[in-house]
Amino acid sequence: MRQTGAIALNTFKETIRDRVLAVIVLFALLMIVASLWLGSISLGEEGRVMKDFGLVAVTFFGLVVAAFIAAGLIHKEVEKRTVFVLFSKPVSRAAFIAGKFLGLAVTLAVVVAGMGLFLFVVVWVIDGAPTWMVLAAVALIYVQLLVVVAVTIFFSTLGSAILASVLGICVFIAGQLSTNVLELTRLGQNALTEALSWVVFVLIPNLTAVDVKPAVVGEQTADWGAIGLWCGYLVAYVVVVLALATAVFRRREF
Amino acid sequence: MPASLRLFLSQPGDRFRTARDELDSVSNVLTATSLRKTVHVGFRRRPVEILKGVDLTVGRGEVFGLLGPNGAGKTTTVKVVLGLMRPTSGQVELGVGGLDRVGYLPENPYFYDYLSGREFLEFCGALFSLPSDVCRECVAELLRVVGLEDAADVHLRKYSKGMLQRIGIAQALVNDPDLVLLDEPMTGLDPIGRLEVKRLIQRLHDEGKTVLFNSHIMADVEELCTHIGIMAGGVVLWTGTVAEALAQAPTLEDFFMKTVRPA
Repeated sequence: MRQTGAIALNTFKETIRDRVLAVIVLFALLMIVASLWLGSISLGEEGRVMKDFGLVAVTFFGLVVAAFIAAGLIHKEVEKRTVFVLFSKPVSRAAFIAGKFLGLAVTLAVVVAGMGLFLFVVVWVIDGAPTWMVLAAVALIYVQLLVVVAVTIFFSTLGSAILASVLGICVFIAGQLSTNVLELTRLGQNALTEALSWVVFVLIPNLTAVDVKPAVVGEQTADWGAIGLWCGYLVAYVVVVLALATAVFRRREF
Repeated sequence: MPASLRLFLSQPGDRFRTARDELDSVSNVLTATSLRKTVHVGFRRRPVEILKGVDLTVGRGEVFGLLGPNGAGKTTTVKVVLGLMRPTSGQVELGVGGLDRVGYLPENPYFYDYLSGREFLEFCGALFSLPSDVCRECVAELLRVVGLEDAADVHLRKYSKGMLQRIGIAQALVNDPDLVLLDEPMTGLDPIGRLEVKRLIQRLHDEGKTVLFNSHIMADVEELCTHIGIMAGGVVLWTGTVAEALAQAPTLEDFFMKTVRPA
């Protein structure tokens, strides 16, 4: 436990002190400000465009942080041979993977919360009233990004860091299409497509289930009970993926 | 039982194992038996045997110099001992109660360059689950010992090679280990740095700790070591005391050459 905490703290320090992170956050804030302009040219739909565009910006930049920084976490330790220092001490591979994940999860929480609060304030100023749903949507985006971090860490234990980033982003995109895959199982054209669709649906995380953007802009109401259950499912998904990453990493030698 | 498992079992949680170890070999801190290691290189996974049956025994309180030409398998032996690599066959037994009681300085150490020296050592202490107040005290003491008090709060990215080597030695000592493994501790250091590292090894010896280090520098080995082992081609060719070696040849260098390349 102590080891996991120490590795998590170290990972947090590493990632939060990374200048790339500051650049990404700066860009995100600029994008949110740019959405003000987009809102102004959309007749009578300022608030809606702002929220939609702002949340997409938070998701996009959060995804960049999650996928690109997560891919380097383990790769860098192996490449720069700091793993020698870690694993010559009584540190288990499981504590290492868990620590790396938790450290970046904290950094990501700071980044996403920062962007989310900024968006919330901007929307408040424009609308003249607080839209609390924006904060809920940002929290759920964070949950989705945790899945990306776990998946990217898993792929990075297999080897290439760049490939891990790309695959992490792919899983995120696939997760956005998850409901469509489920539709495919219901079409029931032939048994093979149906079976395949089920396999794909089980393998990729269902991220659309916790996407409340339509509810934020008032297109539909959110079913909080279902969202809570789906969040539990995503947390379980993260745990399983990290367990797999540990299993793969155990086989590695340095 | 595979050696890595043995290593795992001999960690301090396992009192039985530790007690038996002590009964078995009161004096031996490290016993490696017929260690073999084959790695697969290249696209076609061509097998290369790095260790071809290494037998090595290091007694308590010794300063053991592991000598050998480049590619002899010295670093691999140390990595297998630490569990960083798994032996293809053979066994390692640590007589000190597991990795908790071992310190290790890797070759050409590189550490987290975004941490200060103090932060790095405190991180290492936490990896040994040292209580934070004990850790802080011991880190301050270590920084003094390796002469880095003034650079304690400077980020490691600004450290010179010699300073990195010294912080590396400090991290190897953070758990007050009984067995210290140093991989090429003197390489790349200036004369002052080498002298300081030598004094440190001497000091560890005086404190009754067991030190095993790899080196190419015969003069250092002759000066510091009580025992030496000579490796070449993945096997240990000779082990004994420095005095025994010097009885067979005028200098340690001559003895080394004679052992590695018999006429």
